[in-house]
Amino acid sequence: MPTDRETLEVDVLIVGGGPAGMGAALRLAHLQKEKGGEPLSIAVLEKAREAGAHMLSGALLDPRSLRELVPDFKEKGAPLAAEVHEDRIYFLTEHNRFKFPITPPPFTNHGNYVISLNKFVKWLASLVEAEGIDIFTGFAASEVLFDGNRVVGVRTGDRGIGKHGERKPTFEPGVDISAKVTILAEGVRGNLTKMLVRRLKLDEGKLPQVYAIGIKELWEVPKDRIGPGVVMHTMGYPLKNEEFGGGFIYSMPDGLLSVGFVAGLDYQDPLFDPHLAFQRFKLHPLGRELLEGGQMSRYGAKALPEGGWHTIPRSWMDGALIVGDAAGYLNSFRLKGIHLALKTGMLAAEAAFDAVRAGDVSAAKLQAFETKVNDSDVRKELYAVRNVHQSFAHGLYSGIAYSAVSFVTNGWWIKDPMPSHAGHERLSTIKEYYEGQPPSPEASGTPVTIDRKLTFDRLTNVHYSGTRHAEDQPSHLIVHDTDICRTRCRVEFGNPCTRFCPAHVYEMVDDGQGGKKLQINASNCVHCKTCDIMDPYQIIDWIPPEGGGGPQYDGM
Amino acid sequence: MKIAVCVKQVVTREWPIRVNEQKTWIRDQDASFELNEPDAYALEEALRLKEKHGGEVVVCSAGPARAAQVLREALARGADRAIHVESDALGSADAFQLAGALAVAIRDEAFDLVLTGLQSDDQGFGQVGVVLAETLGVPHATIIMDVQVDAAAKTMRVKRELEGGWFQWVSMPLPALLTIQSGINQLRYATLKGIMTAKKKEIRKVSASAVPAARQRIVSMYVPEKGKKTQMIGGSPAEAAKELVKRLREEARVI
Amino acid sequence: MIVVVAEQREGKLNRATWETLAAAQQAGGPITVVVPGALVAGIAGELAAADVKEILALESPALEPYTPDGYVAALAGSIGELAPALVLLPHTYQTRDFAPALAARLERAIVTDCVAIKGDGSSRTYVRPMFQGKLSADVAAEGPAPHLVTIQIGAYRADAAKRGASAAPVRTVAAKVDAAAIRQKPEAPFKEAKQAVDLSQAERIVAVGRGIKGQEHIALAEKLAKALGAEVAASRPICDSGWLPMDRQIGSSGQTVAPKLYFALGISGAIQHVVGMKGSRTIAAVNKDAEAPIFEVADYGIVGDLFEVVPAMIAELEKS
Repeated sequence: MPTDRETLEVDVLIVGGGPAGMGAALRLAHLQKEKGGEPLSIAVLEKAREAGAHMLSGALLDPRSLRELVPDFKEKGAPLAAEVHEDRIYFLTEHNRFKFPITPPPFTNHGNYVISLNKFVKWLASLVEAEGIDIFTGFAASEVLFDGNRVVGVRTGDRGIGKHGERKPTFEPGVDISAKVTILAEGVRGNLTKMLVRRLKLDEGKLPQVYAIGIKELWEVPKDRIGPGVVMHTMGYPLKNEEFGGGFIYSMPDGLLSVGFVAGLDYQDPLFDPHLAFQRFKLHPLGRELLEGGQMSRYGAKALPEGGWHTIPRSWMDGALIVGDAAGYLNSFRLKGIHLALKTGMLAAEAAFDAVRAGDVSAAKLQAFETKVNDSDVRKELYAVRNVHQSFAHGLYSGIAYSAVSFVTNGWWIKDPMPSHAGHERLSTIKEYYEGQPPSPEASGTPVTIDRKLTFDRLTNVHYSGTRHAEDQPSHLIVHDTDICRTRCRVEFGNPCTRFCPAHVYEMVDDGQGGKKLQINASNCVHCKTCDIMDPYQIIDWIPPEGGGGPQYDGM
Repeated sequence: MKIAVCVKQVVTREWPIRVNEQKTWIRDQDASFELNEPDAYALEEALRLKEKHGGEVVVCSAGPARAAQVLREALARGADRAIHVESDALGSADAFQLAGALAVAIRDEAFDLVLTGLQSDDQGFGQVGVVLAETLGVPHATIIMDVQVDAAAKTMRVKRELEGGWFQWVSMPLPALLTIQSGINQLRYATLKGIMTAKKKEIRKVSASAVPAARQRIVSMYVPEKGKKTQMIGGSPAEAAKELVKRLREEARVI
Repeated sequence: MIVVVAEQREGKLNRATWETLAAAQQAGGPITVVVPGALVAGIAGELAAADVKEILALESPALEPYTPDGYVAALAGSIGELAPALVLLPHTYQTRDFAPALAARLERAIVTDCVAIKGDGSSRTYVRPMFQGKLSADVAAEGPAPHLVTIQIGAYRADAAKRGASAAPVRTVAAKVDAAAIRQKPEAPFKEAKQAVDLSQAERIVAVGRGIKGQEHIALAEKLAKALGAEVAASRPICDSGWLPMDRQIGSSGQTVAPKLYFALGISGAIQHVVGMKGSRTIAAVNKDAEAPIFEVADYGIVGDLFEVVPAMIAELEKS
């Protein structure tokens, strides 16, 4: 049956309405005003039901890119929850905490702001719309359109498809949006970016990207417990020496706290459970003292690219650019990427604008983006910390030692770039990790009681993510061989998907024949992408569900 | 046929509801909002009637400035233009105020048909449509599952839902007002073209100065608490089953 | 004085009228029951057993069959003459169809879907659900009396309505209705199986969760449902597995229900499920796990194997 497909033609298409995409859109609008001439048609695609709904970050904002993009951001009402006035870094043991006497310079946050990325992006969206740019929310890009190897736009996902692939009466075919330049600002592990990197070998000569998962809750605690603008980071417990990550607590006005935990997705222990580590962090005296008696109001999770400079793929090609987290522009050492997303979005806008105006959108022309990045403070910032995450691969202590040395050497190390593996490759089998000793349930740390006050089970947490998907649609999590799940993976890794997924999407249930089989609760998915990243067999593909589905991260 | 559809913007179902300090309304400053779901069915029904009989669909809302969001969404789905009675106070207004505000907006337009959703997902009065009909002086019918219009005769026949699986057809002259039951139709998706053309459509703002006084006041809002303590019933399965049946019969009296 | 508006269809009294009577009696003060209809002597006689001051048979041929225009005209006249402080109506589909228009005609306040009445006289407030039951609100009616208040079905117990020592006097009054002014022309009601199961209308629900273990055991739940006069519903995993259709799903991604009895079998009580059923009047739960959160919302709980408890319950129910 031929499909009567809607089509749309624009000059610049931005895929993803996060800080990178909004930065690009706004910069394009400004260039338009500065340079005059025939106005470019610009569109932003966003899979969330409304702008900002899928946005999740700590979040700390380094305002430097914002200042450049919107100099009068305060007058324009940028939602900045609190200016940071105190930094605290702790090293945790199971029962104690040790505060670092001074905050090392890269960790200082003076002049930065605690924000809700959700509110921040909603605000950016209002500025973008005020410039007359269309933001199409509820539309997920599902495929890249090519002319040869030149990117010529994207196709959005079909809507109104039933569970078994059948067309429902409301069926609405996806739209082909053709664009002279497509800016991919999909965020971490974007499905189109992933495909493009493979097809065009954009990662040739680069290190594999390494990721982390961030899990976060929003808490309301008595106002007198902590004032706004305090930023806490922790290292150590509940992670093992070999594991990268730590906890964070950021305070905002009225007793509102951002509480979260970041765990590197390059852990070795197949029984490690990031969600459980987060519960342990909250149960540690540091967390408990602040949170007990308070109320958790929102939950969410998102992967973040931590590999840094050497892992960023070639971000320019015929007809397209990759920006922000999709490419990996994030400073994992400072745990900050919003300013880099904004900035790379802006730089891509400049490159795209010139290319469209010149009538030349070839890779050679769009390579200007790379030049602009190299000439900007993006490179300066990221190059200095290029080996940090990789150094932590050898353990927390060597990571800290390297980080200290790197200040002196400006990031140089004997092996530069420091070699690294994709995170999932580091995952050990149960047999290897536990050396044949059958692991007890406590193998991965002290047991945690779920009281649904301070600690939560995944399913309860998912409720607080506000996640909603059209129920009658095919699963958007494609597991290419579920036989592996019930046979090899069960034995070798103990089905780690049931632990690294923070949303109870993956579940091993009785198969009625004495064994277990995989059940995918796709509508719980909070779009964090961890499964696509961390699956040891790399047989999980995350594809976008029907547009509009996903979490509702109000205030996150 | 000229059809008005009254829609409301409500907080999303996923939003974790919190009561304000005075306990008189929710803390909705940080909330996200959406089109009241029953109203989406009313809009869809209007669009289908227009496709069949021609004419115009005008979407109307009485609410704060943020309510423009749902008007734009309705325009993107195919409504021709919008009327917005704008006032911050209308966000938590009672049914008489909302009906009064909407009446001001649509009274002079001579609509053949006015549609509303059955009730709103926030206050859930289920009153606005019926009060509006009385205010406009037109006949109405509620909880409608089917609409058949005879445009030439200026009459229609509608299927009302009664309780317990019963239905009833009712005829009445136009102009009239109907409150539409959710599930009457299947909602369409907004298209990219729809979203783009929505921007060029008119949203007429109407002053909310003529809104009547409130007829009800929220004294206190709170999270309902479970009144009773859980009674655990022990013993063997047979004993427990027997005891449970007894308590359901004699104490709870639900069987 | 409180007026209770009785509801009847084709000469049959709606039982919800007795519930509303119970609410009126608990609110205090003399009660007049108004029974609108064409020939309502029978129903008026039935209601005369209640402990009320008077029954008013408000009759006109134009009131049969029911139309909102007819009812609004008749009741506006009658209530105007009676001048009560409060008018209580059962929150039925019929009341929802005419009562707001009646309030608008009288220019008086109306508070709908109330589950309780607090205080008395001018300090009365009415408790009603808001935000789909996530919150309750105490609402005061503003402006001059009478205030119209509709009472949620099941909020009061019909058998709690007190009977009088002797039959209340019945007064028949001709309703002032101009038949020609009634614009709605109703046809005879008919019954139709709805395509979707409307569990929100079910009085009793037996809901199954993972503890039911397999599709072959759904029949056991159906048997219990039959014995209880209940509909069968399920938590999400059951519908996801295709053991019951999706329209039987209760919870945040399914239906929200508030039956008289909610019987949870092998349901752990995840919050996604609980938000869809916690408004039920009585909740009973059978679960193997004593720590299951369902017991936090249940009124009655049995920790045990449902495959032992349920057959015993069916046997017990079938005994009588």
